[in-house]
Amino acid sequence: MSSAPEDAKTTVAPHRDLVRWLAAAAVDPDYARVARSASPPAHVRRTGARAGMWVVLLVLGLVVVTSGAEVRSTASQTARERDALVAQINQRKAVIAASTARLETLRAEVSGLQGTASLDTQRNADLLAGLAQARTLTGAAAVTGPGVRVVVDNAPPSRSGNAGKVLDSDLQLLVNGLWQAGAEAITINGNRLTALSAVRTAGSAITVNYQSLSSPYVVQAIGNPATLPARFVDTAAGQAWLDLQTNFGIRFDLRRADAMVLPAAPAPRLHVPNAQRRGELP
Amino acid sequence: MIALLALVAGAVVGLFLQPTVPLALQPYLPIAIVAALDAVFGALRAYLDGVFDDKVFVISFVSNVLIAALIVYLGDQLGVGGQLSTGVVVVLGIRIFTNVAEIRRHVFHA
Repeated sequence: MSSAPEDAKTTVAPHRDLVRWLAAAAVDPDYARVARSASPPAHVRRTGARAGMWVVLLVLGLVVVTSGAEVRSTASQTARERDALVAQINQRKAVIAASTARLETLRAEVSGLQGTASLDTQRNADLLAGLAQARTLTGAAAVTGPGVRVVVDNAPPSRSGNAGKVLDSDLQLLVNGLWQAGAEAITINGNRLTALSAVRTAGSAITVNYQSLSSPYVVQAIGNPATLPARFVDTAAGQAWLDLQTNFGIRFDLRRADAMVLPAAPAPRLHVPNAQRRGELP
Repeated sequence: MIALLALVAGAVVGLFLQPTVPLALQPYLPIAIVAALDAVFGALRAYLDGVFDDKVFVISFVSNVLIAALIVYLGDQLGVGGQLSTGVVVVLGIRIFTNVAEIRRHVFHA
């Protein structure tokens, strides 16, 4: 479109203004060159090239439609795969829940059988009492009693950004402080803590007993409700949590609770212990 | 006119046959299409300018597509496929915009 001298100038020095040169050379310069040169009578040599043009355009239409279909089918396939995965996850979760329920009934049956089998002697009764006590303390049995209920949550996002997130170490600090203050049984969002429980970050979530939790985190601790809060605040963990509350705006809400029911921890894997007691029973 | 018909016929054939693109060619398809569109708009502008020549069109179309695919292939081999593709799309995009603007001026005289 541009006049000849301007064309020449932009072609000579493309590096001076790349975009302008690109715009000026947008049409293949060969069109102009062929048009300028003395061509043979157009209709003589055109038939082949014209057929080529039609073929080329046919191919273009085909490829554009195919490519569009391809992109759409890829997207729907991704969605389908995702749905299938979600369905699988739900299915496996249901299987786990069913297995857990069955495990519970079997365990109840086992303790029932233990009770009937060995109630005959005083020594066995003592042992059973000790076992019951141990099961209560280790988290193998569900327990009920008074205590405190602590609700902690991430700070509102506007306030301190990422710093206001409750970390796994914060929750560890909290439950350790509660143990120290005299708690006898603790759950986090309904997951009972045992000597083998880990409170740790996996991916972007905090997990307890390998269960992913989401905030707010509800920590229930059974213990003396009269002394537990005050003794907790006295511990280093309590001080650290007061700091978190005032400095980062993390929610920390501790209340006494009258009767809480804490479930048992998931059954540990069955194993033969290698550690054996040294000496006689006391 | 027949050229437009050929384009539509190609699209219809594509819709009816639903051909699948070979996996090896898939990375080159989008960029090749952009290059082809550049050639088509360039040809349309040349047609309106009165200098259209179908032989030049066929050659520029084929070479555009081949060069675009070659650049993407080369970029993939060198590990800069994405950046090179972006560069090609930018250059071709500028050309398409320029040509379409010129076509618009021809058609609407504005």
